[in-house]
Amino acid sequence: MIKELAKNKEGAKERCLKAYEEAKKLQDKLNHVITFIDPSEQCEEIKEGKMAGVPIALKDNVNTKGIKTTAASQILSNYVPIYDAHIATKLKDAGAVCIAKTSMDELAMGGTNLTSFIGPAYNPWDTRRMTGGSSGGSAAIVASGTVPMAIGSDTGDSVRKPASFCGVVGVKPTYGRISRYGIIPYASSLDHVGYFTRSVEDAALTLEVLAGRDDRDMTSSYREVEAYSELLNGDLKGKRIAILKNVTDALHEEETRKIFFDLMKKMEEKGAIVEEVSLDENLMKAILPTYYLIANCEATSNHSNLDGLRFGYREEGSDMQEIMTNTRTKGFGPLIRRRFVIGSYGLFEENQERLFRKGQKVRRLIVEEVKSCLEKYDAIVAPASGSIAPLIDAQKDQDELSDEYLITENYMALANFSGYPSMTVPMGFIDGCPIGINITCGAFEEVKMFNIAEGIEEITGYKDLKAEVK
Amino acid sequence: MSEVKDREYFKKLAQQLLFRLSDEEADSIVKEFSTLEKQMALLDAVDTEGVEEMIYPFEEDTYFLREDEVSHVISQEEAVKNVSKKVEGHFVLPKVVK
Repeated sequence: MIKELAKNKEGAKERCLKAYEEAKKLQDKLNHVITFIDPSEQCEEIKEGKMAGVPIALKDNVNTKGIKTTAASQILSNYVPIYDAHIATKLKDAGAVCIAKTSMDELAMGGTNLTSFIGPAYNPWDTRRMTGGSSGGSAAIVASGTVPMAIGSDTGDSVRKPASFCGVVGVKPTYGRISRYGIIPYASSLDHVGYFTRSVEDAALTLEVLAGRDDRDMTSSYREVEAYSELLNGDLKGKRIAILKNVTDALHEEETRKIFFDLMKKMEEKGAIVEEVSLDENLMKAILPTYYLIANCEATSNHSNLDGLRFGYREEGSDMQEIMTNTRTKGFGPLIRRRFVIGSYGLFEENQERLFRKGQKVRRLIVEEVKSCLEKYDAIVAPASGSIAPLIDAQKDQDELSDEYLITENYMALANFSGYPSMTVPMGFIDGCPIGINITCGAFEEVKMFNIAEGIEEITGYKDLKAEVK
Repeated sequence: MSEVKDREYFKKLAQQLLFRLSDEEADSIVKEFSTLEKQMALLDAVDTEGVEEMIYPFEEDTYFLREDEVSHVISQEEAVKNVSKKVEGHFVLPKVVK
């Protein structure tokens, strides 16, 4: 899709204006955008490139020069960056035209997209349901067919989970593959730039545009950027696929199991060697608490600069401490404040060894377990979520100590711990709503990952899925 | 560890982080905390004796000394663009010494 659109540069202005109008029209139903960007000016100076004249959207934690960037938080509600994030420049240089800054969970800290300061984003397939988060607005704007690509960010599963709920392709490449310069951080050792598309081919092409070394992100890799879209080949013959048995064992939704295992059978028919693999159960159960500790501890420290003094929203007070306290009390939503309290607790001197450092040690063991599995297999796969997107009004009655919650709903953070590339593609529908499969490969094996995803897309036929928003 | 994790405990902790919690919010953390402690206990089931902490996914350094060349400059005007109170290129804050 993107390739074809970029060939037709003459139609760019009309196309981008149409996308902009469409996004505005859908806002009432989806509440998926924080700031709309009239593309007229950008259309006057579209650069030649792989995305020439292609309308796109950015998650609102991507700094955009002169355009409000809020990270869906009151505390940044008036913040207008004076510089572009590295990827914003890259996209502009490739000819892309940004029409919207999308909604997200506040400061990317959440998995529902219910905590944005503009209210919840709604799922295009069924607006009574959540999009998932934290990159829910971007997932929705791609799923509704408005733009072919939107940027997200992924610290635990914030691209791959909403991709499952919204029936789109969601990619989190290897840590260091895409520069994070100019992305409002959450937890630096886990944060990745990711993105959504409606086909694997577009996903491969997008990475060609976004990837590459940037001196302004010290973790960014020097490795050569491959021609992912040209190397795309859906041949599954001989591909060794490991089903993460811990995830499927803890999965109770029969329809999800059926869709997943039917797909596995079809992959075998295409020549893949599919086997069930159990990783150490104690390590699998430790993924969520490990994530929670590392992410919240890092976030507490990262967001100490949000104080109302140098930028962002400010509440008045009689001295600096009072200004900061008043600002941070009003500026952060309740979930964020809760998470900061937990993070700070984990960093207390008396808790650091028992909690934060313990989490970092367990992280190493989890990564070693995943790594040794990927020495024997080309990819690890499992359903990207236990079920379709939950209803927004549904009472939260999940047992947060059950294996289903600890493992099935939260295992994808293992790709953030390891930095390994991981993506979700649609695998089926339940009650008219989509659900995805997650694929994780070894470090910098994006070519292999895209090829397996392409093989799956060829089996399911779920390419260019568009939700009809009602 | 022996300290009681009640409403007041978390309110005090929030104060150190420079924000306030309402009674309701503090109570919800108390509630959440008992589940969290049980989840954290899952880490104890993992033997980490002799294991080093993993800080970043890849342990290869990419830092370097860059050439002493000027790049990515911002003007003074830009630097204070997002400050709510400013005078002649300076941030304005209440007096610290009274």
